[in-house]
Amino acid sequence: MLSNLGNLLLFLSAFLSLSLIYFSFQCLKESQELIHSKIFQISLVQSTVILACFFTLIAAFIISDFSLINVYQNSHSAKPLLYKISGTWGNHEGSLMLWVIILVIFSFLFLIKNKLHPKKFRLYTLIFQNIIILGFLFFILFNSNPFTSISPVPKEGLGLNPILQDPALAIHPPLLYLGFVGSSIYFSAAMAALITDYSDKSFALSIKNWVLISWVFQTLGILVGSIWAYYELGWGGFWFWDPVENASLLPWFAMTALFHSLIVLEKRNLFYFWVIILCLMTFILSVTGTFLVRSGILNSVHTFASDPGRGIYILSFLSLLIFGSIFLFFKKYCAKNYSINSNSKETFVLINNWFMMFYLLTILIGTLYPIFTDALTDSKISVGPPFYNAVIFPVVVAFLIFMAVGPNTKWIKNRFDNLINLIIIAVVAIAINFAIFYFFKSYTILSNLIIISSLFLIISSLNDLIKSIKKSNIDLARIISHISFGFLVFFIGLNHNFSIERDLNMRVGETKKFHNYQIKFKNLKLKDYDNYKAIIGNLEVENIKLGDKKTLNPEIRIYENPRTLTYEAAIKTNFIKDYYLTMSNIDRSEFYNIKFQKKPMMIWIWISVLFLTLGGFLRIFKNAKNN
Amino acid sequence: MKIKIYILTIIFIFNISHIFGKDIDKNLIYKNLRCLVCQGQSISDSNSDFAQTVKLVVNDLIKQGKSEDEIYSFMADKYGEWIVYKPQLNKQNFILWLFPYVILVSGGLIILYQFRKKREKT
Repeated sequence: MLSNLGNLLLFLSAFLSLSLIYFSFQCLKESQELIHSKIFQISLVQSTVILACFFTLIAAFIISDFSLINVYQNSHSAKPLLYKISGTWGNHEGSLMLWVIILVIFSFLFLIKNKLHPKKFRLYTLIFQNIIILGFLFFILFNSNPFTSISPVPKEGLGLNPILQDPALAIHPPLLYLGFVGSSIYFSAAMAALITDYSDKSFALSIKNWVLISWVFQTLGILVGSIWAYYELGWGGFWFWDPVENASLLPWFAMTALFHSLIVLEKRNLFYFWVIILCLMTFILSVTGTFLVRSGILNSVHTFASDPGRGIYILSFLSLLIFGSIFLFFKKYCAKNYSINSNSKETFVLINNWFMMFYLLTILIGTLYPIFTDALTDSKISVGPPFYNAVIFPVVVAFLIFMAVGPNTKWIKNRFDNLINLIIIAVVAIAINFAIFYFFKSYTILSNLIIISSLFLIISSLNDLIKSIKKSNIDLARIISHISFGFLVFFIGLNHNFSIERDLNMRVGETKKFHNYQIKFKNLKLKDYDNYKAIIGNLEVENIKLGDKKTLNPEIRIYENPRTLTYEAAIKTNFIKDYYLTMSNIDRSEFYNIKFQKKPMMIWIWISVLFLTLGGFLRIFKNAKNN
Repeated sequence: MKIKIYILTIIFIFNISHIFGKDIDKNLIYKNLRCLVCQGQSISDSNSDFAQTVKLVVNDLIKQGKSEDEIYSFMADKYGEWIVYKPQLNKQNFILWLFPYVILVSGGLIILYQFRKKREKT
């Protein structure tokens, strides 16, 4: 029953999309400046229908309706309610539904929120957005339909992968999708702007909040994914340069470059075509990411069961987007003579974009290169953390310094009258760095430079804050985001250099010592839970120097549906450091492999990212108030 | 001003002294080797038999006095380049290592070119 209802609603949404495109063209022919109320209504109905469709799917998961293949494959009646619901988007088909919902809702909101902009621009945006919506609806209907039924109806489902049964993972996909699917709306708007020659700063006004919204959610999505990886995957890191992590970073860099450039377009009416390129690029990169993940081309922790049909469909759709946008772009492109001064805010925004493109393209080639070598020379290579660390981190040093200096420059032309100020800040930064490694531990030159430059950014942003409070002209959003980024790099630097890691093989009852630490393996407990059994270790970690004792309880979990073994890390967090401990059994012996890590400043990395997005939110609210 | 120079020099010396006499970091090598039987994990993070064996081999090589890079090439020869997370700098991976710097330099040149255009006009 739900299967029929779902399919009906999907077809209905596709039909509504087609009629939106049709009526938009009709409306474009008319000379009046008003958009028909019909179009608003259809768009609203479309949003309602697609939401209803999604709720139908959620309902199927909640009541465990195994007549749907999708529910059968990804759910189980014994699963907790929260994970039944989050299971809806924890698989390929269901997550595509989430895609379409965001496409549709953004389309509707953009239509009603931009009343001050020309009719032609708004209608073309709607048309392009609906072409994208149709593309995804067809994909869902003919290749990845979550409502496909199965007969005879199975009694029980196969269950959701236990490592996905997690609160962070329940909200990770929706957040991330709001980010990279949200970028579709400024892709459509950019295409519309090209067609209608809407080429001045009011274009910047129409999309700037949308860019920020997608950026904020993209950042939060990445953050939540990273926190999840930290406590769930059990290796104690939070970023592995996994191809899928990279895929989420690529649009992030494009967005970051975009909203900086938008400021220049808005204030100085420059860089129009560059802004358009960035708008187009962001969404294209988002779809590229989806392609790489869903086609199963890349080896990654995120790979769903792969299917060549999906890959081919997304690839064709992606090519259509790329060629369509390139064609339209070059048809409309005309070289404009920008004249900007070497020492001005415009230049520093360009420099921001320069670095963003560097990060973006480096990560892009690192992610794609193994595919090329595999196809061309038949040799498989891995491009992993050492590559990115070696190429990217030295460049971050220069980037942070520009990031500190840039915001203080003025538009058009600037005089460097604050050189002494900068030198003082640099000296303070160096002194703090010196203190850190003098009192704690020394580290490499590169780490020194990174820590110095991040301190430089932090201090000079604080300095800006104090100055702007005096003038009562505070750009709080920018200052918060820049400071947080400085802190982010600073804490990552400390975390990287002051981590301790020990691999021990221990029996129950044993005690081992190293550095200032002593680990006591007290005992093991067996416990039965609703959907899994657990072997819980009881270990005591003691810092001998401080006499501080902590008990940690890592687990080995045995799930029944589907049958899997997972290792749960035990983590003790405080404001200075995390203790991180995992336990795994060694086959055919009474020994357990105990991995202990001390991760300093871990919580501050998360907090920095939260504040980074706080800056974004502040800017969004400020923009909304001004409009 | 003199004090600043002193501080800078001290820091510089501190850093230089750090380059020499650095021990091989076993964990770092584990982290840079892929566990071939797992999904996107390094042998440092994996508990598989394969990872345990490779760890033992690495320990042996360190005892034999091999350098970090020698260990990587040994592994790449034995298991294929797929095992090392740091792609080796050779003919095949040349573009991979060069491309980012080409982007960095050409981006900088494009920005500089903007100013030159401006200067010629005025």
